[in-house]
Amino acid sequence: MNLKQLNILLADDDTDDCLFFKEAVEELLLPTHLTTVNDGEQLMQHLTHEVRAQNISPVLPDVLFLDINMPRKNGKECLAEMKLNSKLKHFPVIMFSTSYEKEVVNQLYKNGAHYFIRKPPEFLIFKKVIQQTLTLIALELPGDKTGNITQPERERFVLTVQNSLIDQNSI
Amino acid sequence: MSKIKNTDEGELAIVRAELAFQKEEKEKLANELIIARKELAFQKEEKGKRAAELGIANIELAFQKKEKGKRAEELGIANIELAYQDEEKGKRAEELGIANVELAFQDEEKGKRAAELGIANVELAFQDVEKGKRAAELGIANIELAFQDEEKGKRAAELIVANKELVFQNNEKEKRAAELGIANEELVFQNEEKEKRAAELIIANKELAFQNEEKEKRAAELSIANKELAFQNEEKEKRVTEKDKRAAELIVANKELAFQNEEKEKRAAELIIANKELVFQSEEKEKRAAELGIANKELAFQNEEKEKRAAELSIANKELAFQNEEKEKRAAELIIANKELAFQNEEKGKRAAELIIANKELLAFTYISSHDLQEPLRKIQTFATILLENETLTENGKYNFQRMQLAAGRMQQLIDDLLAFSRIATTELKFDKTDLKLIIEEVKAELKDTIQEKHATIEATELGTANIIAFQFRQLMYNLISNALKFSQPDVPSHIIIKSEIIKGNKSISEKLSMGKNYCHITVKDNGIGFESHFSERIFEVFQKLHGKEVYGGTGIGLAIVKKIVENHNGIIIATSELKKGATFDIYFPAD
Repeated sequence: MNLKQLNILLADDDTDDCLFFKEAVEELLLPTHLTTVNDGEQLMQHLTHEVRAQNISPVLPDVLFLDINMPRKNGKECLAEMKLNSKLKHFPVIMFSTSYEKEVVNQLYKNGAHYFIRKPPEFLIFKKVIQQTLTLIALELPGDKTGNITQPERERFVLTVQNSLIDQNSI
Repeated sequence: MSKIKNTDEGELAIVRAELAFQKEEKEKLANELIIARKELAFQKEEKGKRAAELGIANIELAFQKKEKGKRAEELGIANIELAYQDEEKGKRAEELGIANVELAFQDEEKGKRAAELGIANVELAFQDVEKGKRAAELGIANIELAFQDEEKGKRAAELIVANKELVFQNNEKEKRAAELGIANEELVFQNEEKEKRAAELIIANKELAFQNEEKEKRAAELSIANKELAFQNEEKEKRVTEKDKRAAELIVANKELAFQNEEKEKRAAELIIANKELVFQSEEKEKRAAELGIANKELAFQNEEKEKRAAELSIANKELAFQNEEKEKRAAELIIANKELAFQNEEKGKRAAELIIANKELLAFTYISSHDLQEPLRKIQTFATILLENETLTENGKYNFQRMQLAAGRMQQLIDDLLAFSRIATTELKFDKTDLKLIIEEVKAELKDTIQEKHATIEATELGTANIIAFQFRQLMYNLISNALKFSQPDVPSHIIIKSEIIKGNKSISEKLSMGKNYCHITVKDNGIGFESHFSERIFEVFQKLHGKEVYGGTGIGLAIVKKIVENHNGIIIATSELKKGATFDIYFPAD
């Protein structure tokens, strides 16, 4: 397990959801660092900019939580772009959405997303999903940041929470 | 001891009491016996009555048995009938089951039909495109056919011309042949003449040779004569008269010689003339021969040409035959295409009817669901206000409720916008000639407060009339103008220019416009914050915004509605902009 800080990047335009996410992350025992961007264009710029003066590559996150509905460029488009970029396809991308449509989820799996979470309306369950997903990711990450993380099987792609156990049922 | 005695006394009392009690009982029993005997007697009476009644009852029973038998029979029949009805009920239940399965199946089928309808509609749209392509191809084929007919006419004309020329050339050939015949005759004649001349020449030469012989003879005779003269001169002295005779003979001979020399010179002159004439005739013969050679070459050349024409003619004929075949193929294809077109028109008519029904159903569904959706939403909003007012909440709690109210308010707006969008998509389209200035005035009145607030100016002087669906166009203008006001630059008063003109369709504006057709072109231009040009098509998508929910209000459906209205007018809309340099919306739709 990676004992260093877990760098989380959240891309979501909704202020409330960003707040919920932030609260969930703060309660975790894992050491984390959370960065937030608010639309697809901002996300791609954040991932690909270079600090010009020092010519340093941008710091890539350990995991990206990506909302599907964002203005200017949506989550599906960002996922496709990232998986085509050799520098951006190594960290897991977890798709977020208010709604669930089987066709959309299948397409996201085909495009290489790591997990899919439907945002639950109950706040406590929402927090739990975030926390347990982060724990799961922390366990899955390799010791160094150079290796690829393998996409789970389709049956385990959609994450839901039942009571207090994380449950990877297929819907 | 006393205890035992007491006990005995007690027992005695008890026995006595029991005895008294039994006496009482015995009396009671005796009374009861009397009563019982009375009752028995009574019962005997009753028994008699009962026996009588029994008799009656038995009769009745017998009767009832009969009846019962009848009933049993009837019951048997009824049971059979019931069993039969149960069978029937079972059958009906089966049939019902089958009917239900069939109903479920029909529902499936209905679903499939709806899907097929969607597919059919897509296909119809595709077929319409194909039909358009076929029509275009047909038009092209017709143009080509007309062109080929022209070509055929030209070939026929050329053929006539070629034939005339051939006839003419044949005439020329015959003339040449005639001339040649004449030339040959003349040549033959000249050859005859030449032979005559040659013969005459031979004769003349013979005569000349003969004359030369004669000349030599004469010369010889002359020398002899001279000798004789000399002798005679010698003799003269001897004979003068013989000298005179001889002198006279000599003069005659000299005259004859002179005459023969003249003749010889005449012959020589004639010979020279004859030679000149021969030379001349030889030249003429050579000229004729040369002309003949040229005439032959020309004939050979004309024959070649004739053969070329004949070859071209046969090719032209083959091509004509081929074109006729092609024409017949096209005609056959045209008939098939027409049949197919007629069939497609039928299908289109059916689809159009189905579409009208589907649209009506969709509108009803949308209306009802928007109502049903609004009810729970209203409850959320109501209870939120109740809780906010009546409960004591922490600052965080109040904040959370306000966030909730905002979200509910957004949903309300979304439902209203969705309903507006579906209404635009499904209502019937009625076009009227409308004054655009009037539409703008109405929209300005609706947006009066915002215009004042933003210190905005709206310039709408260059506006004419257009053939439009008035209430939809009002919605379009409302959306565009309210956007222009909403997205104004913070320190620059909003200035909006709206104008219209009639233009001719031009592919440089857009591929979708038809060349030369009349279009009404409306421009709405503002000086607001603008947008990056690569979003110029995304902004027309449903629920697409370029900013977060809190930055600028709205659901992102306004421009989708605008685009749908433009499409209802068979037009196109193009958005152009740069960040901070305002935005321009150009709308084109057919003016007729």
